[in-house]
Amino acid sequence: MDLGPFEGDNSVSCRLASQIPDVCRTEDCCLGIDEAGRGPVLGPMVYGICFCPVSRKQELKDSKVADSKTLTEAERENLFEKLDEAKSYVGWALQILSPNTISTSMLQRTKYNLNALSHDTAIGLVQYALDNGVQLKEVFVDTVGPADKYEDKLSKLFPGIDVTVRPKADSLFPIVSAASICAKVARDRVVKGWNFSEDLGGVDTDYGSGYPNDPKTKAWLLKYLDPVFGYPQFVRFSWSTAQTLMDSKGVTVHWDDDDEDGEKAAQRKNNKSMLSYFSASAGSNDQNPTHQTHRFFTDRRLKSLDTL
Amino acid sequence: MAAKKKRSPSVQTDSWVVIAADSVIDTQKQDSDPAFVRLRNPSTDAASLYMLGGGDVQLFEVKAFDEDFHSWFVGQTVQRDGRLLFVTPMDPLYLILPYLIKSGKEEKFQPVDQVVMDEEFPACSRLLSCTRSLASLHHIAEEKEVGKLKFHRYSQEKTMNWLKKKVERTVIVLKKRNISVGERVKSTTYIRVKSESDYHEEDYLRYAHGLISEYISEDLSKALLKHLQLPELTSPKETEPPSKKRKLSDNPVEAGEDYTKFNSADFVRKPPKKMTAAQKSLAKVDKSGMKPMSSFFSPKVKSEKK
Repeated sequence: MDLGPFEGDNSVSCRLASQIPDVCRTEDCCLGIDEAGRGPVLGPMVYGICFCPVSRKQELKDSKVADSKTLTEAERENLFEKLDEAKSYVGWALQILSPNTISTSMLQRTKYNLNALSHDTAIGLVQYALDNGVQLKEVFVDTVGPADKYEDKLSKLFPGIDVTVRPKADSLFPIVSAASICAKVARDRVVKGWNFSEDLGGVDTDYGSGYPNDPKTKAWLLKYLDPVFGYPQFVRFSWSTAQTLMDSKGVTVHWDDDDEDGEKAAQRKNNKSMLSYFSASAGSNDQNPTHQTHRFFTDRRLKSLDTL
Repeated sequence: MAAKKKRSPSVQTDSWVVIAADSVIDTQKQDSDPAFVRLRNPSTDAASLYMLGGGDVQLFEVKAFDEDFHSWFVGQTVQRDGRLLFVTPMDPLYLILPYLIKSGKEEKFQPVDQVVMDEEFPACSRLLSCTRSLASLHHIAEEKEVGKLKFHRYSQEKTMNWLKKKVERTVIVLKKRNISVGERVKSTTYIRVKSESDYHEEDYLRYAHGLISEYISEDLSKALLKHLQLPELTSPKETEPPSKKRKLSDNPVEAGEDYTKFNSADFVRKPPKKMTAAQKSLAKVDKSGMKPMSSFFSPKVKSEKK
């Protein structure tokens, strides 16, 4: 697996893929989808698909792929090698969603939540397989959110393909297990060799599992909190763990889509009371009611100053 | 979600981001540095910030682009004050004018350095050092020379002509710069329907008059409007209908509607109406993470963390 394309710019989303086995273009195939790194506050989330001809499912099963969570890192690496060796009939593709992508998606003005991001990534990968001529007949997915809704969504998007969405699909279907191994191996490698684009000067890489409840991760987050910038792009800013720390230890930053409510906020924003529209004598609340700055200046947000 | 943030008042900073012409800081030939000064704003009659160039030869006005939620990155530091200050040349006559008008009521010719005096803003006498000041006083005042001394008396007629010229010059610039002078467009998302060529000369005149009025007193602004032969716009207040009077009647007060009928047994609630297509599509929108409408009405005030 060549992580080069992602490591070149690890602030974006990146797709890595194996060669498409020729047999997959001619024979009916099954495809499994799974993800790795959904929960951690550090590092990317990786989506993986694995596909092979339906007729050779048994061979995959015999290679003893299993749910990646039940395997040690060494076993996973081993199994990934095996999958790579089986390139005559097994293909894979990965979508690495950088922590920066996750942060900016979830924190943008029109919120794009993690489930939607996950669904769209999975859909993108299935479309990638179709676009490359893989003869898909069956798709197996480990669920994100309610399984039947997700299954409906995928079935509608890919008519003619038999979509099965199950919780714990990674332990039920070998092709999903294979996908989960690809995803997990990629995530482990990316996290281990994370290229910090920030100049942190000999960064301490002992950040533990990256999960919010890991004390090592918490300690690392405390250590690398910059009061102004918060965190390196390695951290998912949208995680409440990171947000809580930034809110308590960092400088307060105000955005114009911040949720502010209450009368004080209304007053600050110079909102008028609803009542003022109904009274006949409603005057403006300006300090100098006789003087109204010309719109040339107000339109351009230009003000006179009385002091610096 | 993150805890609510309350804004604390801006703290004083000792640096600003300023845009100024090179001539402002060109002090080579001058004996003093350019400086910010507080002077009486002719339009508001309150203090405003101005700048006098080196040797007080030129006057500049100071305007700040000030919008919520802005900060600067300056080199390796963050500046909380996100304002952008503009230091732009200004005709000192605008600031001298109110003093001349005031003394003009005495209808005497006076030496101008006795007129331009202000206990509140002692720096105003420095305005007379500006190269343009004394040379252009004749635009707003009659002059008399006795020996080597010059005396001045405010002239409303001259001033009106001078301001009219200012307005006309402003119109030329407004046209050249394609400034939208038509009816007020209140929202930035509104699309301007009129093309520039549809603006009338009166729109330009009125707009330019408004701009010049930022530099003169309200009385002068009204006089200028007349001088330009522009009718005064009626303010919306006057067009508002008179408030309704409550009808008086001797009859006893009775309930207009009988709500008790809804309590009877034969009153059955109607089934909810079918949603329209638009409502249906709205109901499908991804609302996860969105705040309920009710949260916008909560009166609680969040405490500021230190």
